[in-house]
Amino acid sequence: MRALVIDDSRAMRRIVGTILKDFGYEVREAGDGRQALDVLQEGFTPDLCCIDWNMPVMDGLQFVMAVRANPAYRQVTLMMVTTESETGQIVKALAAGAHEYLIKPFTADAMRDKLALLGLLPEGVSA
Amino acid sequence: MTTSHAQPITELLDAETVQSIADEVWPSLVGDGEAFVPLPVAPPAEVVSAWVTISGPWNGAVVLTCAPATAEALTESVLMTRPPTVVDAEDVADALGELANVLGGNIKSVLPGPSALGLPRIGTAPPTGRLDDVRRIDGQWRGQSLTISVQGATGAPHTERNEVPQQ
Amino acid sequence: MTLTATSFDWVRQLVHRESAIVLQPGKEYLVEARLLPMAQQRGLSGVSELVESVRKTPDPAVTRRIVEALTTNETSWFRDGDPFTSFTSTVLPQLLAARRPDERLQIWSAACSSGQEAYTLAMLLSDALPNAATRVSITATDLSQKMVERTRAGRFSQLEVNRGLPASMLVRHFTRAGNEWEIAPALRRMVTASECNLAAPLPRLGPFDVVYLRNVLIYFDLATKQQILGRVRQIMRPDGWLFLGAAETTLGVDDNWERVVLGRGSAYRPRKGA
Repeated sequence: MRALVIDDSRAMRRIVGTILKDFGYEVREAGDGRQALDVLQEGFTPDLCCIDWNMPVMDGLQFVMAVRANPAYRQVTLMMVTTESETGQIVKALAAGAHEYLIKPFTADAMRDKLALLGLLPEGVSA
Repeated sequence: MTTSHAQPITELLDAETVQSIADEVWPSLVGDGEAFVPLPVAPPAEVVSAWVTISGPWNGAVVLTCAPATAEALTESVLMTRPPTVVDAEDVADALGELANVLGGNIKSVLPGPSALGLPRIGTAPPTGRLDDVRRIDGQWRGQSLTISVQGATGAPHTERNEVPQQ
Repeated sequence: MTLTATSFDWVRQLVHRESAIVLQPGKEYLVEARLLPMAQQRGLSGVSELVESVRKTPDPAVTRRIVEALTTNETSWFRDGDPFTSFTSTVLPQLLAARRPDERLQIWSAACSSGQEAYTLAMLLSDALPNAATRVSITATDLSQKMVERTRAGRFSQLEVNRGLPASMLVRHFTRAGNEWEIAPALRRMVTASECNLAAPLPRLGPFDVVYLRNVLIYFDLATKQQILGRVRQIMRPDGWLFLGAAETTLGVDDNWERVVLGRGSAYRPRKGA
């Protein structure tokens, strides 16, 4: 399983990345939506993208729309991982094509529950 | 727009609400078993602050303030660094900024929206003791002074009475 | 910090005795943060004063609150997804076919904790049945009065809604209430919550078509497990369904149940003629 963690905070990339690695994921990181698109174009095709909302250059919502507009990335599961938690924003992200939404702060257990919902919990990790 | 039924932001953001948000942020970001304890201790002589702005029906900022040494210790805890790794200024800006960001995003959700959250900023300008703090919790983390404050933007049209217009 | 080492030790031993949870040294700040509001409510200056007052005048209600404050039992919504997938795919259609349209289906969430299981079922039912509110009633019970009150309130923290609740269901069935999320009133009305001690004779309940009794039996010895399963069977319809936790079974405990494989999991039904 491969994941791309997109967040402008190095601390948050580290937290999300560590949890995913513990579940057995291979993890790449990007500091904004633009960098993340570059990683995808280089040929890294993740099973999962964890996407912060507020980022410089290209925010998470724009990234979701860009990925959904490209049929080559149809297999990629998109999960917002953000402190934005107004109902209207969750609706907006889901409408743009995000599959799930995890609100910061979250625990490793919460990440595991979301991966289980998405069918992205690697074999051997107990739900 | 009528503001006659406006609810004071101090009611929406009571101390209990801010504390309950901090109670969720600390174990998740700072570390398992970590807590922001709402008991004031002597304020530090020198401070560093990280904040995010909120713009919408209500305009202001959520600010986290502590001593530079506390900011470094928080950063080490957030980044899970072990000696001999040391954190630099960029790490501190990043970690303290993300703490302010997560606190700010959750505090924003309590206010009537839609509102936009700014990117985290860090600086030494001490926003302590401003008259327009709408909510301020002086507390501690591992015995060191730490303040979470929610401040109205001065001069912003809706915030003169620190009220949020109802939709 | 107002917490003395002696007070911390006392709290550690209490929590371990009552919940088997171990508070490691270094968790002093956690104890301080969780118990300080309780101390302040009582007009005490700190947590050590709270501990002193309970040690001097023991009060089971206060000790229970201390333990509850330190043992947040975070429950997931679609915990072990299988019992919910098979509920909508197999159990519900069979029951609807077997019952008259005016017969109300009765579901029991035993040991409901803060209500996640009961409301998960309410959400699934309201998505599956246009007349869910009149066709089904959900009974939620727990040993803890605090948990019963929480279930009745139907309010959940940010951390709680993060635990395995699909985002689409969150925005469809919940509204914001401060920094918490509140279940839609129509769903809350489907759930009736009350206190119930499973290890004692049961109050008048049921008869139930479906019982969720998950991750409860593991806490009891064999004899008590047998008693509980026996009492549950008495208030179930003969063609009802029982869901246990993934690590639990009636096999080797109570022979009056038949195990049925459903999807990747299993359910239990009262054995005919038992």
